[in-house]
Amino acid sequence: MSWIAPALTIAGKDLRLEIKTRDVIASVGLFVLLVVVTASFVFPTGGEGREGMAAGVLWMAFLFAALLGMGRSMAIEKEDACLEGLLVSPAPREAVFLGKLFSNLGFTYVVELVILPVFIVLLDIRPGAGTWVVILAAFLGTLGIVTVGTLFAVMAVNTRGREAILPLLVMPVSMPIMVAAVKVTEAGFLGTWTSGTTSWALLMVGYDALFLLVALATFQHLTEE
Amino acid sequence: MDLKTETAQSPVRERGPAEVPGSPRRKLWGALTIASLLLLLAMAFFYAPEDANQGAAQRIFYIHVPSAWIGFLAFFVVFVGSIAFLSTGKRSWDDVAAASAEIGVIFTSAVLITGPLWGRPVWGVYWTWDPRLTSFLMLWLIYLSYLVLRGYVPEPVRRAKYAAVLGIVGFLDVPIVYLSARWWRSEHPTQFVVESGDLPTQMLVTLLVGVAAFTFLYLYLMAVRVRVGRLRTRIEEAEVVR
Repeated sequence: MSWIAPALTIAGKDLRLEIKTRDVIASVGLFVLLVVVTASFVFPTGGEGREGMAAGVLWMAFLFAALLGMGRSMAIEKEDACLEGLLVSPAPREAVFLGKLFSNLGFTYVVELVILPVFIVLLDIRPGAGTWVVILAAFLGTLGIVTVGTLFAVMAVNTRGREAILPLLVMPVSMPIMVAAVKVTEAGFLGTWTSGTTSWALLMVGYDALFLLVALATFQHLTEE
Repeated sequence: MDLKTETAQSPVRERGPAEVPGSPRRKLWGALTIASLLLLLAMAFFYAPEDANQGAAQRIFYIHVPSAWIGFLAFFVVFVGSIAFLSTGKRSWDDVAAASAEIGVIFTSAVLITGPLWGRPVWGVYWTWDPRLTSFLMLWLIYLSYLVLRGYVPEPVRRAKYAAVLGIVGFLDVPIVYLSARWWRSEHPTQFVVESGDLPTQMLVTLLVGVAAFTFLYLYLMAVRVRVGRLRTRIEEAEVVR
């Protein structure tokens, strides 16, 4: 695979930039923390059946985090024609897409893993071994949102609406993966894995695979002038 | 004076609006639409029998189901037009996709309005998270965002490419939405939905007339909107030349 090496180089560039500026992690991390704290106040998150509510709140926070991070990450590329620079580089178009996908996935996932314990403590959930299920759901769900989101972020940043357009494009299409992620996360919080949970997890894998292929096939059309 | 002769000779000026493809067929579809819609109205009220359980409310079925069919057909055409545009680069495919998306949103709006109007007297609720209803709501939202996206990209070729990608992703999302909506509310009763398998013949015939009438309406609206799209393309291209 000649895509992986240049993709990692591009993701590495984003990582170095992030280490120097701490732009995305700081803003997105604080934002998610605020969403989680606000949601714990305004929703009835105690008592029986709170795991379902908690899973929904958690994924709304994750979705916002991903949207904010992806918008920021593509806005950086827009400055000083950085994206054009990447596109005229010898790296194949697919590698440019994968590079941005890796960095978006990495940042969002790290923020999610940091916020997860805070969330579990604040909402008094005791997932036990189900924590691993939640970590898996976070990965599969975030991969799906970020795959569609990275593709659409390239479009959104070139529209008149800039970052404001990205949520409008991503949210309707990401509804099924959100539903699936909430279901698997709820199962993780409850610590019960049923055959239904397997179906939801497979739906996430299928969503991720399908839209990864579509994104790789269509990304070149978005970037040729 | 030079300017005048130049514009008169330019290819943009030579072809009149009547030469835009689809014009004669437009009139044919229009006439068929009017005739078949009148026939549908008459049949829905006088030919089709009254449903024993649902009463007169069931007659909205003859508008609701054809609207749903057209909504789905229209978005499938967006999908096909989007793929065709990305693989051939012909702007006319983008005109087709854009026109079909507009019409599809209108017919899905009709589904989402007639559905609750029917649901309230029959099920007792306006809305239920039934897989079909949920799928149509999501379809409606996806293609609304498609139309919003088009409005936000001023450059025509870029707009066509972006819209095409969303048109493909959005349509591929539909089966996954349907599946997730079905699993999400699996505990809910599903006998709500009228299955069309054992319809009386008069009802089935009326429904088929409805489907035909709405298909003619779709073709007519497509002919009108595609023509508008082509004229717009021609203006945009003429402006670039100038």
